[in-house]
Amino acid sequence: MAGFGIGSEIASVAATATVPITAPPETPKLPPREWVKANLFSSPFNSVLTVVSTAILLTLSWNLLKFIFNPIRQWNASATNLRLLMTRAYPEEQYLRIWVCVAIILTLAGSSMAVWRTGSAMPVTGLGRKLLATGALLVLLVLLAPFSAGATVQWLLAALVVAAVGEALRRTGGRGETERTVSTLTLQVVALAGLVASLWVIPFGHHSYIPKRIPQVMHEPGTVALSTKLPWTIMLVVVVAAYFGGVLLRDRLAENALRVTLVVLWLLAPPVLVYLILRDPDFDMGHVIGTDIPIFLAYAVLGSTLLLWLTRPSTGEIGRIVAALVLLAGFATFLSPMRMVLRLDLLLLATFALAAPTFAGGLRARKRYTGAWLVLLGVMSWLITSINTASTVRVPGGFFIGGLAITLMVAIFTIVLSVPLGIALALARTSTMPIFRLLATWFIEFVRGVPLITILIFFSIMLPLFLPRGMHLGEVAAVIIGFVLFSAAYMAENIRGGLQSVTRGQHEAAEAVGMTTAQKTVFIVLPQALRVAIPPLVGHCIGVFKETSLLAIIGVFDLLYMARYVVPGQTEFMGSARESILFVIPIYWIVCSRMSKASQRIEQRTGLGER
Amino acid sequence: MTAPTTQQSVSHRVPLWRDVIVIKWVTQVFLLVVVLSAMLFLASQAGDNLRARNINTEFDFLHEPVMIQISEGIDTHPDTGARALWSAMVNTLRISGAGIIFATLLGVVVGLARLSDNWLVRRIASMWVEGFRNIPLLVQMIFFFSALTALPRVGLGSGPVNGWLHISNKGISMPRVFIADGFYQWAVVVLIGAVAAHYVRRHRQRIQDETGASTSPILWALATVALFGLVGLFVHPVFSWLGPVFGSIADLFDSLPNTAPQVLFSAVAIGVATIWIRRFLSAHRSARGHLSLSDDDWFRMIFVALASLAVVLLVVRWSGLSAWALNSSRDLFEVLETKFEVDGAARPFDAMRPDIIQKSRFPNYGKNGLTMSIGFASVFFAVVFYTSAFIGENVRGGILAVPKGQTEAAKAVGLKRGQVLRHVVLPQAIRVIMPPTGNQYLNLLKNTSLAIAVGYSDMVQVGTTVFNQTGMTLPVVAIWMLFYLSCSLTISVFVNWFNVRMRLVER
Repeated sequence: MAGFGIGSEIASVAATATVPITAPPETPKLPPREWVKANLFSSPFNSVLTVVSTAILLTLSWNLLKFIFNPIRQWNASATNLRLLMTRAYPEEQYLRIWVCVAIILTLAGSSMAVWRTGSAMPVTGLGRKLLATGALLVLLVLLAPFSAGATVQWLLAALVVAAVGEALRRTGGRGETERTVSTLTLQVVALAGLVASLWVIPFGHHSYIPKRIPQVMHEPGTVALSTKLPWTIMLVVVVAAYFGGVLLRDRLAENALRVTLVVLWLLAPPVLVYLILRDPDFDMGHVIGTDIPIFLAYAVLGSTLLLWLTRPSTGEIGRIVAALVLLAGFATFLSPMRMVLRLDLLLLATFALAAPTFAGGLRARKRYTGAWLVLLGVMSWLITSINTASTVRVPGGFFIGGLAITLMVAIFTIVLSVPLGIALALARTSTMPIFRLLATWFIEFVRGVPLITILIFFSIMLPLFLPRGMHLGEVAAVIIGFVLFSAAYMAENIRGGLQSVTRGQHEAAEAVGMTTAQKTVFIVLPQALRVAIPPLVGHCIGVFKETSLLAIIGVFDLLYMARYVVPGQTEFMGSARESILFVIPIYWIVCSRMSKASQRIEQRTGLGER
Repeated sequence: MTAPTTQQSVSHRVPLWRDVIVIKWVTQVFLLVVVLSAMLFLASQAGDNLRARNINTEFDFLHEPVMIQISEGIDTHPDTGARALWSAMVNTLRISGAGIIFATLLGVVVGLARLSDNWLVRRIASMWVEGFRNIPLLVQMIFFFSALTALPRVGLGSGPVNGWLHISNKGISMPRVFIADGFYQWAVVVLIGAVAAHYVRRHRQRIQDETGASTSPILWALATVALFGLVGLFVHPVFSWLGPVFGSIADLFDSLPNTAPQVLFSAVAIGVATIWIRRFLSAHRSARGHLSLSDDDWFRMIFVALASLAVVLLVVRWSGLSAWALNSSRDLFEVLETKFEVDGAARPFDAMRPDIIQKSRFPNYGKNGLTMSIGFASVFFAVVFYTSAFIGENVRGGILAVPKGQTEAAKAVGLKRGQVLRHVVLPQAIRVIMPPTGNQYLNLLKNTSLAIAVGYSDMVQVGTTVFNQTGMTLPVVAIWMLFYLSCSLTISVFVNWFNVRMRLVER
């Protein structure tokens, strides 16, 4: 249910996107001399501050550049082990799977950008000013860096070209009525194209790692390997094509339906990518046709009939009693031995049956509700089957992916799974039912009072002890459960803030038109509460992404573990820990700072600050 | 909530399965049963599994010898598990305390710098915030660790300031000021000075309020404390008679029967519950004395009453608790007694310069200086920098939240820049700053648990070593949770107290 709630939520966020944001009043532009006087030397104290901080900055950057360009630095450790850092030991001959995943994500991202009309117009003068500043900064850095004379001249020329382009744009940009603008999306594509082009042109060197009995590291001059630059070029084409495809669809189809479809696709993407494409389960067709499909079909037919009947507004009380009986039957199945799938499917059906009166209505609404049940049942059955099936991808030791891939996987699964739990906890904590409130409050306060690492250690070591004999849970799955419980407690607090912002009038109006408590919550309160909660929730998602680095402590091979232990542990790259950590820092930083910028933009778009 | 009269008149018409109250309570009891049975099921599974693997879950390991070496702290070679966890606890508290203090100082600087008139300072501060906030703490910690371990070795006569400050791959060593034997007697003098300062401040404030002349009361109060401190350096032995007093209090605790704290705790629990229920009832009484209670209100009262009874039962049944309370009070006063019974000429403070000793082939820091090990330094710098970015944002937000009119009005009545800050802007800003900053303190405390990644012996690191050796995972995890929960609770109680105090200042 949460998925649809968020879907309409994002749709409503974007619906307000076309409202122009009022620009802050422009500060008068001062000539350079006066600007320097006003901003750097306005008082004796400020002058001292300027001089001191300039000195500190120069010393720091000089030392940093000296460190980076020191010939003994082993930067090729990261270049050579790029595959290890990204996916650990995922087999090279199966790498097409990785690229298919990246392409799917980029397709979704590109079309979403088109459908949600992201990007804004940027004045050309502003762009010019930024380029000019970048060029000036580059000149300064090049002068500080310990380059040879030839390299200095080359870099200086490049920096001066950047600055000159900036200055030209600044002068030709126009003012007021004649002001020219450029789309930020175009800029991003140009920047990405530049990066991809640099792979083809600039001699970064060809680094390869030959895993023999005594592994060999090869460094050849020239551009990077074809297996790197070709896929990335295709990816660039894919994302641009997806954007224009999205524009075409947007102009031809109903925008709202398109958005809902995309949200459903985004939600389906993580399990499909991980369990179908990356893991490639080796389905035992006899078992699937003989057992799994019949179970699915039985539940699909029975459940659909039941739900179609339950969602009829005329069903009345008897429907609730039937739903409660289904729930009891679901719990009763735990008393006798049977397949786990049967139990879980029955519990899912009971949940849908209990919620049915809330979504009761005309034939269209009933069909939609039954359709949601079928989709969820199908996804769950397929997931359970594929998780229980051995993979065809042979990866030595541990989980089948690692590095950046597992970092992203854990973060995304945690976020997606903790949203429904967080909403449930928040509703329970604000409920008028004391036992619900008490349990939710205790859980939330307990989890918020202990460090994440203790929870993770507990789940990675102790969870197998709590499971029934014969039930097996991989370490990564156990850790994800720990992450989800932890993140849900914090999410619940953010959502609770949103729930409290829904005014009393909204509750009363919903009651006045005769909605039940469940209908009021689902259709009136939650959409408004989640809308308010989105900026803090995005902040929380940044936190989850940062916290995935704790995987390294409990010995999961995530990006940080690779950079700290695996790469510097290779005999060829002994003692390169600082270099490889400095290599992963920008990766973490870019993801987090992009997300925080996005959250600021959402806040501005929804106009939350101004109400 | 509707009044009981209407509820009754409705309920005899509505069938049982449509009555809101019945549905509500049936659902809740059902959920409770599901949760409890799930927990019982998991616990029984765990019990079976533990027995099958022959794992003991008793707390015996606390008294048994362990082979643990702790990197630093009050006891580096503890002889029992309890002692090991105790010194780990002290390490966690030490780094959290130092971290909170320095993160606050740095955070205020960063927040003010982000609002500076100076463009360069503003840019540096925003780079600081954006940089440290968006890199995972653990990555920063490990980076600092690998950077510090790459420093040169300690040498006899190493620098940067030989004899005063050493920075090497063994850590950072600097001069140390520490409290000596006479400190406690001196502290009593300062305490008396603080009381005197309170009256001095009130007196000066009254003069200022009456005459309007600037009398700088806070400066006077500080000067009073400083004067007492200075004089106390020479006269502090006069308080050595306090030692026997504390000794007799310790004897008193020793002679008290075990039932005394039991009675006291029970009385407190029942008293608190009674007061709570009476206040609750009077809050729900209308002006005419009519009492209307919903089922939820009944639940609350019954829950509070049951909780207090549970506390009484716990205190009475578990006599170890009251014995522990008695013994630790006695120990506290015995310690105080020994602290006061010192040689008359003992100095309250002492200081030492760092030293470098060479026992084996490689020299190392001696015990004289204040030494930050590599582990401590990397955890410390990481949590301080990381948290300062968040606190800086809180400070900036708090100051921006004070309307500009307030500053302008204050300037209009002729207050000076410092006075505007101290009397107008800060009191209003601190109310906005403090609640999120309290959360940051909690986060900082919890974040120090990442020290396990760099080998600083904090609670989690030592706990992990203990359960790896003894196999007592469950008890150690329980101790962790209890420790962190009580620390979190302490900090949040303190922050809430501060918030309430700040609110009272307003009106």
